Amino acid sequence: MYFCALYLHRYDIRGQSLLLCADRSLFWEEEQTLIVSDLHFGKTGHFRKSGIPAPQSVSREDLQRLIAQLQFFKPRRLIVVGDMFHSVANKELDMFMRWRNDFSRLPVHLVKGNHDILPGEWYKTAGIEIAEEMLQIAGFRFRHDPVDGAITDNGDEAPYTFSGHIHPGITINGLGKQSLRFPCFYFTERYCILPAFSRFTGTVSVLPDKKDATFAIVGQTLVKIR
Amino acid sequence: MNLQDTIGYKKVNAWFLSKNISPFRFQEETWQHILNGQSGLVNAPTGCGKTFSVFLGAVIDFINRHPKDFTTRSGNGLQLIWITPLRALAKDLARAMEEVIGELGLQWKVGIRNGDTPTGERQKQKQRMPETLIITPESMHLLLAQKGYPLLFDSLRLIAVDEWHELLGSKRGVQVELAITRLIGLRKTATRPIPLNIWGISATIGNLEQAQQVLLSPLQLTGRKPSQGKLVRAAIDKAITIESIFPDEIEKYPWAGHLGLKLIKKVVPIIQNSKTTLLFINTRGMSERWYQALLDESEDLAGAIALHHGSIDRETRTWVEEALHSGALKAVVCTASLDLGVDFRPVETVIQVGSPKGVARFLQRAGRSGHRPGETSKIYFLPTHSLELAEAAALKEAKDINFIESRVPFVLCFDVLIQYLCTLAISEGFRPDEILPEVRSAYCFSEIADEEWQEILHFITKGGNALQQYDEFRKVESIDGLYKITSRKIAMRHRMHIGVIVSDPMLKVKFLSGGYIGMIEEYFISRLQPGDTFTLSGRNLEFVMIKDMTVIVRKSNASKSIIPSWNGGRLPLSSSLGIMLRKKFNEAAAALEQGKKHGDKEIRVLQPLFELQRRLSYIPKEQELLIEHIETRDGYHLFVYPFEGRLVHEALAALLAYRLSRIAPITFSFAMNDYGLELLSDQPIPLDDSNAAELFSADHLLADIQRSVNSAEMTKRKFRDIAVIGGLIFQGYPGEYKKARHLQSSASLLFQVFNEYDNQNLLLRQAYNEVMEQQMEERRLREMLNRIGASQIVITYPQQLTPFCFPLKVDSLRENLSSEKLEDRVKRMQEQLAKQV
Repeated sequence: MYFCALYLHRYDIRGQSLLLCADRSLFWEEEQTLIVSDLHFGKTGHFRKSGIPAPQSVSREDLQRLIAQLQFFKPRRLIVVGDMFHSVANKELDMFMRWRNDFSRLPVHLVKGNHDILPGEWYKTAGIEIAEEMLQIAGFRFRHDPVDGAITDNGDEAPYTFSGHIHPGITINGLGKQSLRFPCFYFTERYCILPAFSRFTGTVSVLPDKKDATFAIVGQTLVKIR
Repeated sequence: MNLQDTIGYKKVNAWFLSKNISPFRFQEETWQHILNGQSGLVNAPTGCGKTFSVFLGAVIDFINRHPKDFTTRSGNGLQLIWITPLRALAKDLARAMEEVIGELGLQWKVGIRNGDTPTGERQKQKQRMPETLIITPESMHLLLAQKGYPLLFDSLRLIAVDEWHELLGSKRGVQVELAITRLIGLRKTATRPIPLNIWGISATIGNLEQAQQVLLSPLQLTGRKPSQGKLVRAAIDKAITIESIFPDEIEKYPWAGHLGLKLIKKVVPIIQNSKTTLLFINTRGMSERWYQALLDESEDLAGAIALHHGSIDRETRTWVEEALHSGALKAVVCTASLDLGVDFRPVETVIQVGSPKGVARFLQRAGRSGHRPGETSKIYFLPTHSLELAEAAALKEAKDINFIESRVPFVLCFDVLIQYLCTLAISEGFRPDEILPEVRSAYCFSEIADEEWQEILHFITKGGNALQQYDEFRKVESIDGLYKITSRKIAMRHRMHIGVIVSDPMLKVKFLSGGYIGMIEEYFISRLQPGDTFTLSGRNLEFVMIKDMTVIVRKSNASKSIIPSWNGGRLPLSSSLGIMLRKKFNEAAAALEQGKKHGDKEIRVLQPLFELQRRLSYIPKEQELLIEHIETRDGYHLFVYPFEGRLVHEALAALLAYRLSRIAPITFSFAMNDYGLELLSDQPIPLDDSNAAELFSADHLLADIQRSVNSAEMTKRKFRDIAVIGGLIFQGYPGEYKKARHLQSSASLLFQVFNEYDNQNLLLRQAYNEVMEQQMEERRLREMLNRIGASQIVITYPQQLTPFCFPLKVDSLRENLSSEKLEDRVKRMQEQLAKQV
């Protein structure tokens, strides 16, 4: 059974207050919005259906962790910046649907990611609002892939963007050739990359600049790097 | 039936006479056993007609069974299956077999079945099996993955396993064991239950009897005793001359690596005076340097030497091999890539650079020269530091008394078993009650517990510890008790993944303009920046970028380049060689004490070094363990010399550090090599006569090790291989890297997920066991501690660094210094130390 630890760290961006959660989510206080990325629901099911016995408890725990955070923050809406579902439908999505019914009044927005390939009808039935490329709410913008747009965006007044996709991680070097990598929140001046919500995901190292802020998720806590 | 009276023997003997040779005794002995319906193992060196000992046995048997029409009978069905680990050998083998068959007038066909066999040829074989099939362990399992495979083996009479010493002690060996259990098991349901025998062919190893037991273990299925197998030893003593290449001056402070290239001037004449020479180098990185250095040293060699190692593109390697056959090359710089395989007639001389780490490997390499019966093999030993000369002396004696390493067979490889069961499930399916006795008849699985078997079945049918709800796990299904894989997709994926050789992720290296150069480990490239220069296939290349899983490079004229350090090139010193080495040090100490000259030139040459070691510290005898406490500017050093190989020392260092830290809060850094280990701390190390025995005790070894070593990190690496073999990791279809990504996950991710959510998983448990047994060499570590427990611990407090500890000290420096800086600094150290004494 999963217990929510809810270690929070407040971080302000452009006058907006964000609460970073060690459980891999981000809460936007002004808009009462919970933001997550790369849930990859149905991934273990997809593997298992293909004969690869990944332990299904990972997916189950992912869902429980999401529920715990929804219960804690009681958000006005949930935004998923892509890769909410791993692949085509499988029975694990039934598990998701049951949850959806319990939270049927919560608006869910999904900015489509490369893995979100379910038919449009499916999202409709599940009560998920789809944004194909991008979503904008107040001064913030949401898109799946940070490479196009967010990084190459030169305009100073461009909206701050929240993305996912790359499953960012930060490598911390210790003594004696020891090195450890943790999933992280990665903030630059113009965009933020969220850690993958699912624990059945790997990480790709980011190389923060001096101006960037990186928060490593170490166990149940957040550690600011630099 | 007396062999000599049979018509088959007479025909074969006549063939021998026509070639002006006569059969060896061991060949005749083997033929007689085969005629008597026995199974067994032939122990013979390469190039002594070992192939014919088994192959002609099958031929004689066939002629005897068909004395009237043996020349006209064709389409006899499979008679002999010839399992060999070497794909490259198959063609030459087939040619040799076909030659005899033709000259004896038989209508037999010889087929080859391995990864290179074209599809059309496979189809033909399926319709009409050749009488002899030369096959790799992997392809053997692929045959078992074909529908209707039992029929193929109906007429089979003999299973031959070539190079069994190579297969034993590897997962491919386990594959062979399992395949044999199936072939023998099939006899129970065959339409014509004709006898089926097993013959192995092995070079000399320390545990030949056990090797035979393992191979013949499946015979118990048909009620025969594996222990009654025949062991045939070829009494052919292969003449080997071993000569050391001596440096002009013995450095009293030796350190690893650099000396080798200094001796290159002495190598050139050896190459020039021999028809063809093979230079064996231990690592791919060093082989690249040697190749360059030889070209720089002697202009005459340009165009006459070549480089051969596992990262060089297949075509180039094939070209080198062919040039070796034809005698077009003066020398080839190679790694273990040429340890095995076809013999190259023109090779007259072998040079081993650096420690071969084991007696068997050294003799194997020596045997690559002068391999024909009656010829002498010639091998030079070139030390990469002066102390290594003692190894040459140890190797010579080990050869004289035939003190060869054992190959320890693997047990309970669940990953291989899972793969095998899935293989059976895609062809004919299996019934657990029928297949379990077969599996148990394999040595590897003789100890499998009922619960473990149930767990494996559960794993392949239910996907391990699964939830009942929402689960659609699908792999093997039980249909009326028959376990089958019905999904075509899953079957196809499985077929592509049959095999147990898991290599590190490698990337192709290509020129910007096209043109393939070779393969390189992803790990190495990941540390390079665009613009960096590295060496591959003897060329300096500038790294441009990685695109579509290919490393793009351009030619570079930079004078300095990084030599890739490939992983896995560092084998530990074998325990046989360790024992001999301790013996040599013992003798050296005795010779010094008695003021006598030692019989080995290597030891005599090393005398100044030994004298210095004795003056500053001590030379350990066979029943002694030397520990040196030395204080330098860097801190407090503790040097220990068990001579048990790097891996054992690594585990021992961690163990000692852990046990010492219980006495006082203290932190260490480690260094180790094949001779010993170093602990370095900023405070005095609390080890003395009063607690030494306790610190080296074998009590609570397992518990202490698990607390002291970051075994999770090591296990993660092991788990990768196991996960691939066990079918947890899907590596994608060939040439379709991207498409299959939704099913890909890295081994480290799976490892983490299993550790957290399913830590009783059987493959995870296997990974932990393999780390203990193979990585930490737990058995050897325990034996060493027991040996130390029974011996005298000698603790000295030298005032300065000793010859024994110097290489270790340099190794620990190496971590923070680039090679140039290191060389300068070490040179200064050597000079200073030498002045002080």
